[in-house]
Amino acid sequence: MSTPAPAPDRPADQDAQQRRGTLRGAIDGVRTMELTTSQKLMVFVLSMSLFGLSNILLEIIPEPSIGPVEFSISNMIFIPLAVAALFSPLWAALGAPLGEIVFTDLLMGDFSGLAEVEGYLQMFLAIYIGGSMVRNPSNKVQIAIGAISIILIDKVLSAIVDLSKVWIGVEEAEYVEGLPQSILAVEAVGLGMDVLISGILFGAIPAIWLIPRLYGRIEPLMGMRPRVPGEPIPGDAPKGPLFVGFALFLSAASFGFAFLEAFDLSAGAWEPDFLGRFGDSFLWLSVAAILLVLGVTVLLFKLAQKRSSHDDAR
Amino acid sequence: MTMHADPVIQVKHLSFRYPGAERDTLRNVSLEITRGDFVAVVGGNGSAKTTLCKTFNGLVPHYWAGDFAGSVSVDGQDTFDSTVAELSSTVGYVFQDFQNQLVRPTVRDEVSFGPLNFGHEDYAERTDETLEHLGISHLRDSFVWQLSGGQAHLVALASVLAMRPSVIVVDEPVAELDPARAREIYLQLRELNERHGITVITIEHHAEFVAEFAHSVILMADGAPVWHLPVQEAMNRHRDLEEHGIPAPDAVALSALVLGADDDVALDVSTAVELLRPHVAREFTATERPLDPGTDRELVASLRGVEHGYRSIGGALRPVLHRLDLDLHAGEQVALVGTNGAGKSTLMKLLTGLIVPRQGTVEIGGIDTRTRSATELADKVSYLYQRPQQMFLRDSVREDVAMFPTGRRREGAQELVNQVLTRVGLDPLAERDGRTLSGGQQRRATIAIGLAMTPSLLLLDEPTSSLDVRSRDDVMAMLASLSSTVRCAVVATHDMELVASWATRVLVLDQGRVLLDTDPRSMFSRPEVTGQARLLPPQAARIAQELGITPTPLTAAELRTCLPTRDAALTKENR
Amino acid sequence: MARKTRDVLSVEWVRLELLRTAYATRGGLLARMDPRMVLLWYVLLAAAPWLTHNVTVLIGLFVLGAASVVASRVGPLVLGLFVFGLTTDIIALFAASFFFGGDWNTLAALAVLNLKIGVMSMASMAAFISLDPEKLSDALLALRAPELLAFGVSYGYRMLPILVDEYITVLEGMRLRSAAPASRGLLGWRTVLHWSVMSVTAFYPIMLNTAKNVRTTVEALETRGFTYAAHNPKGRTLRLAHLKVRGFDVAVVLTTLALVVLAFAIGVEYPLYRIG
Repeated sequence: MSTPAPAPDRPADQDAQQRRGTLRGAIDGVRTMELTTSQKLMVFVLSMSLFGLSNILLEIIPEPSIGPVEFSISNMIFIPLAVAALFSPLWAALGAPLGEIVFTDLLMGDFSGLAEVEGYLQMFLAIYIGGSMVRNPSNKVQIAIGAISIILIDKVLSAIVDLSKVWIGVEEAEYVEGLPQSILAVEAVGLGMDVLISGILFGAIPAIWLIPRLYGRIEPLMGMRPRVPGEPIPGDAPKGPLFVGFALFLSAASFGFAFLEAFDLSAGAWEPDFLGRFGDSFLWLSVAAILLVLGVTVLLFKLAQKRSSHDDAR
Repeated sequence: MTMHADPVIQVKHLSFRYPGAERDTLRNVSLEITRGDFVAVVGGNGSAKTTLCKTFNGLVPHYWAGDFAGSVSVDGQDTFDSTVAELSSTVGYVFQDFQNQLVRPTVRDEVSFGPLNFGHEDYAERTDETLEHLGISHLRDSFVWQLSGGQAHLVALASVLAMRPSVIVVDEPVAELDPARAREIYLQLRELNERHGITVITIEHHAEFVAEFAHSVILMADGAPVWHLPVQEAMNRHRDLEEHGIPAPDAVALSALVLGADDDVALDVSTAVELLRPHVAREFTATERPLDPGTDRELVASLRGVEHGYRSIGGALRPVLHRLDLDLHAGEQVALVGTNGAGKSTLMKLLTGLIVPRQGTVEIGGIDTRTRSATELADKVSYLYQRPQQMFLRDSVREDVAMFPTGRRREGAQELVNQVLTRVGLDPLAERDGRTLSGGQQRRATIAIGLAMTPSLLLLDEPTSSLDVRSRDDVMAMLASLSSTVRCAVVATHDMELVASWATRVLVLDQGRVLLDTDPRSMFSRPEVTGQARLLPPQAARIAQELGITPTPLTAAELRTCLPTRDAALTKENR
Repeated sequence: MARKTRDVLSVEWVRLELLRTAYATRGGLLARMDPRMVLLWYVLLAAAPWLTHNVTVLIGLFVLGAASVVASRVGPLVLGLFVFGLTTDIIALFAASFFFGGDWNTLAALAVLNLKIGVMSMASMAAFISLDPEKLSDALLALRAPELLAFGVSYGYRMLPILVDEYITVLEGMRLRSAAPASRGLLGWRTVLHWSVMSVTAFYPIMLNTAKNVRTTVEALETRGFTYAAHNPKGRTLRLAHLKVRGFDVAVVLTTLALVVLAFAIGVEYPLYRIG
């Protein structure tokens, strides 16, 4: 569809149109793509409230499960994906997991302390990367890839966390008959179901329907200009595909690593690598700090357990 | 009153354009607002009233970036070189959708939020003092989501006052409140203005409030002020106002009929009564709309012994409706009136079948609502929510209208949709999202959605709230034409003009009971009932009552028939 | 089937239950404490189970957790969801490990793990249900959490009832205006599909409406010094001035500590490990 450039509509009374005051500050064309503080806040709050709301719904819906296979929707990630794709991946990613924590985890008394921080980071990383993949809000392929990536990144990372929980929580977990295999199987089946249900049925498909519909309609309501495909995206993940590829590789590698080494994964082991790669922004610094605390805590727990079992053995 | 002594706000050659807009929204605005003034900013939709007021506290251009030319200075401070935070200590702003302005869970936190952020040591005293001033100390520990609309507005006002501004801007208080509550807000504003010397600026569509409370009036049109005059002069120029979509209040319009061109018009009921008394005829021949007692008419809905209530947070059952018996017949135009919490919404929801009563029965066209799902009942009843945005579920008005008939595979659905859209005059706008339309168009779109459901019972919740007068007349005309297609229409409303000019039957609900079931004229002539249910009759009716005319004329048009003819008035005017 | 108004297991009930939980209106032991001490109490009880594999200790801690859940008056919905979650977890893992040749030993190992998770969950239920949003947000602020996080917590709670109401209204409209499927289909899949489509498409209007509301909220935040406060710590100091640790708080934490130590002591006396 081609539209001829609209002829500027010049009213007859030129004088009334003439500005008498002096123009101040920047004029329209020179403005940067960076979001203002309040725009960032708007995107953050929007992402937080909507994702929180969707999580409340999911909390109430009954989840049928057949044996270990749970037919549950873990997240409606099309919501943060829409906010990320239309406004800013960074601020959408910062807000959404907080919404999940505040609205459901805190509220339902399901708050799991430090593990909540883990959950936040996983979801943040997932949305940040997945959201940055959508360069053009009307491109359905990009949207689908973005949606599935979010679920993949989030779930793979959380599988790793689950495994480490078992590793800490069960005495000599690797020697318990059938346990490693069953955990692996449960996680794998869970991942498959999540990709199918949360990634495709309640992720990619709604996102493909929703995002192009909202595109151009939701921005003016927040006093912003719709994004033009091709222009730089405010707050997207650094270095585009390279970053994404690396993060995916990192997640997959640590996942595989965990099983190869029979649960001998140490959270501290992949941390410096991670830090070195992305240590350039405040966010990663705080991420690293939290991970460090987490890693040390995990090791301390393990040590404490070893010592107590030694004591008991004596 | 001197207009140019000690200006608190000075605007010079101000132009502003939103990013990406085709033309300037504000065009060369120059004006001054005197310290201690009570200013009403009036003008039709799209005259940039809100944009103008947002330049006073720096939201334009610091929050809403755009091309900003000229200058605004507040208390000597150039807003362009200042920040929103700094300016907010001088200029407080109460937004039109004030519900979203409340950001903290409890009233106390909400009010102390500003002073705390700015690090004022005396935040607690400020909070208590402000709550005291506005008479809402008892709400201190309430959660903001428990507040009624009027209370929420007062809390929004309090949260702004706690920063002790010297100017407050209130954006359309009447839009989301019923008139009785809006009046209370205005009384508070007057108190703040007179007792505490705060400069008050309100954006207002309802000229009645402007005439009664404002000291000066700024008329905006197309992004620039037409004039800024003391209220008496402004009202004397009621023809200017009318030209710009602000019909004069009844007191002004009626008194103008008997006055000379240079005389001052009446601004309130009592002055109008004095002016009209010598001219008015005491007899009024009402042309009644037919109201059949309805016993032999077709029954559309009936309620028998209905009791309903909700669980409160504490777990107790809070009763809303008490043993309600009610019949609705074909051909009736029913207005449901009463205070918030009187049970209007609950009654409407019972009629839609969205909820079923705890006791008693609700029958729609002879079918007990307990035996059908709400989805099935939607074939017979349609319910239009108060806020149009809650009814726009699809991405264009056309799809929203078509949703019901095509979803149910109705024959000729397409034709029906086209026909309905033409009828409400939205053909050219049918492909747009409902939210992008103006207030009046949004209402018409929701009515179209209702009509496309071809219901026998149409329920409307506050169809005229938050509309400027012109769009309101539009919607009222549309409602008047409904009788040909809808068997029975029920409107829950606070708008007494609508009741007076549209309804054939009024149900006054009070604390879950029907206080009165009659026609509008009988209701308005019973002050004990209107008093108990906190209903404020239209200004014309109040004037007529004071004049002792019987039966009471309800609208300005009706009262006009008791006055000398147009010619006589004109001769008088020309003299 | 005749419809009637239900007070339990209806949308309205869930809404009320959420609100009661969110605002800690039931009261309870921990609700009276300084929020920072509640967090300390939580860390104490949540960390303890991970320091041992001794089942006696874990049972002791579990009892302690259960007692604190009772003392904090946790609501039935939250408790129900917790028990449901715990049991399905065990069943799922057990079924899987049985499939891979596991036996009762595996179940025992899992029981130990779930005992730990259970203690932790109960501690968090008791703690975070007793903290109303303002207290929690104050505690977070006091512990130097980012301003945005503290604000998010309190704003989230404030918006919750409004968002839920708005969503229910839109969903009602969808229900009324769309046709229900003629037949339910196998296992009611048509109905499930219908509801799924409705609940997802409802987000189109919800997102647009919320975007509009958020704009006003952020404008209001701006005018009321929210961003100003981020650069000026005085407001923070004032806001937190009311936080005070009293003897009662210390007593509760010390008692809990003593009970945890007691559990460990009993564990040393009567150790019980999984049969390996």
